[in-house]
Amino acid sequence: MDNKLQVGAKFNIAMIVLIVVGLVTVIAGFMTGEATRTWANLLLNNYYFLAIAIGGTFWLAIQAITQSGWSSAFVRVPQAFSIYIIVSFFLFMILFLGLHDLYHWTHKEVVMEDPILLHKEPYLNIPFFTIRYVLFFALWIYLTQRIRKLSLKEDELGGTKFFEKIEFTSKVYIFVLAITFSLFSFDWLMSLDPHWYSTIYAIKKFIMAFYHGTSIIIAILIILNKMGHFPMLNKMHMADFSRWLLVLSMIWGYMWLSQYLLIWYANIPEETVYYVPRTMGEYKNYFYSELIINWLFPFLYLMWNRVGKNKNAMLFLVLVLMVGQWVELYMSIMPNTIESHSITYIEVGTFIGFTGIFTLVVFWSLSRVPLIARNHPYLEESINHGH
Amino acid sequence: MKTNIIGVYEDENVLLDAIDRLQAEGVTISDVFSPIPLHRVWEKLNLTTRIPLATFIYGTVGAIATFIFLFWTSVVNYPLKFGGKPLNTLSFIIIMFVLTIAIGTIFTFLTYFLREKMYPGKKVELAVPRTTDDQFTIVIERPLSMSLEEEKKINALLKETGAVEIIETND
Repeated sequence: MDNKLQVGAKFNIAMIVLIVVGLVTVIAGFMTGEATRTWANLLLNNYYFLAIAIGGTFWLAIQAITQSGWSSAFVRVPQAFSIYIIVSFFLFMILFLGLHDLYHWTHKEVVMEDPILLHKEPYLNIPFFTIRYVLFFALWIYLTQRIRKLSLKEDELGGTKFFEKIEFTSKVYIFVLAITFSLFSFDWLMSLDPHWYSTIYAIKKFIMAFYHGTSIIIAILIILNKMGHFPMLNKMHMADFSRWLLVLSMIWGYMWLSQYLLIWYANIPEETVYYVPRTMGEYKNYFYSELIINWLFPFLYLMWNRVGKNKNAMLFLVLVLMVGQWVELYMSIMPNTIESHSITYIEVGTFIGFTGIFTLVVFWSLSRVPLIARNHPYLEESINHGH
Repeated sequence: MKTNIIGVYEDENVLLDAIDRLQAEGVTISDVFSPIPLHRVWEKLNLTTRIPLATFIYGTVGAIATFIFLFWTSVVNYPLKFGGKPLNTLSFIIIMFVLTIAIGTIFTFLTYFLREKMYPGKKVELAVPRTTDDQFTIVIERPLSMSLEEEKKINALLKETGAVEIIETND
């Protein structure tokens, strides 16, 4: 039962090839004069995989707080995501070179002439932006690593002391996340259009992270299960995971509607400026496909009871959701940066590169520790879940 | 006229093992009563329900009916423009959303009550009153054709699997 994951050389080489593809794409992007597009894609993919890691660890924290028994055998997967947050810190650092290409509030002369930006200047300036970035990452890394370390110590020493400590740390983590991840989304995504603001933007992005982070946990579990790990993963676990996704798809749809409907109904020009390029013209198709892929399809698909219990059907759904998250972020970022929609090799290449990094980091950190938290107090309940 | 044999258990795990044992011996269990939902009982007895399907249909019908109602009131019968919004508007969604839930829930309850012959203020009919509290019961039908030997076998099995009490009731 206490098996470790073996990551073969072939797997590492495959992932490194993906990373190299990404690297070549980024370099080619800069060489061919598509600097803004390349920066926008780097931001998109950075945010994409950070959101998965944040969402996964948030899911982990929720499991600890609710003292869920059924999921306790699988805690190592989201714990592995927390290593990616460290990597993500360095990947976000690259974006500081491209701040001028992405955010027009970074241009001093523009800010000076613009009363709205001048008003926001005490918050939206590069030094404070950098301080926030470091502070947020420091908090996330500290708290998630603490949860991971405590869980690893529990493996050796046992007892309920660590269980309680993890629960407490998780409680701190979700409060910290509620504030920091909201401000983080404001900083990196909403400030692409600094004249526009929406307070529901943060919760929508947060739910996106939670939703897609959970879906990636499921995908990794199913893949590992197919490789022969996690033999206890049964239909009841799958049914519970699919319920998570069903609920999250509904919350996501609710948040989407809350943001769109209020702006549409109030019809205030300062607010509608966000949706005008997105609902009319080039981005129209993305606008509808975002809603269909992320809400309508999963909602109807998961309502069918059999889907949740079928591993291949769930794997297919996760693939669809991966596209969905990409479309959502594309819709958030691109209309404010590249302004004309087109999917070129840069979009595809950077995504491949980041997928390589994420998979490599997660599987590397999974292979370093036992796959099952063997002294988790509820492990027995998880293994016998549904029996 | 048929009677029931009822085995009373005090622990859910004992109950689950008892169900396995009884089914292995070829006894048909007609029902299980429990104070908490037990998913495994559901699976073991091969119970099915069409209630979720009914709810889905009520919800769908409710959504469509609400839309037709809203369309009729604000587009056909009394077209009043306000706020520069189109007559057939997106704000229908909120009312549709809420009424779909209301219609789905109310009709599901009604269906359940009809199927279970329940109504508010109905007198409690429980062979074992503590099934709503902390006891679990297995109900086995005993048709008139059942031989005395068979009945004895069932009684013995219930005892053996840990039943604290065995009751016979007229249906």
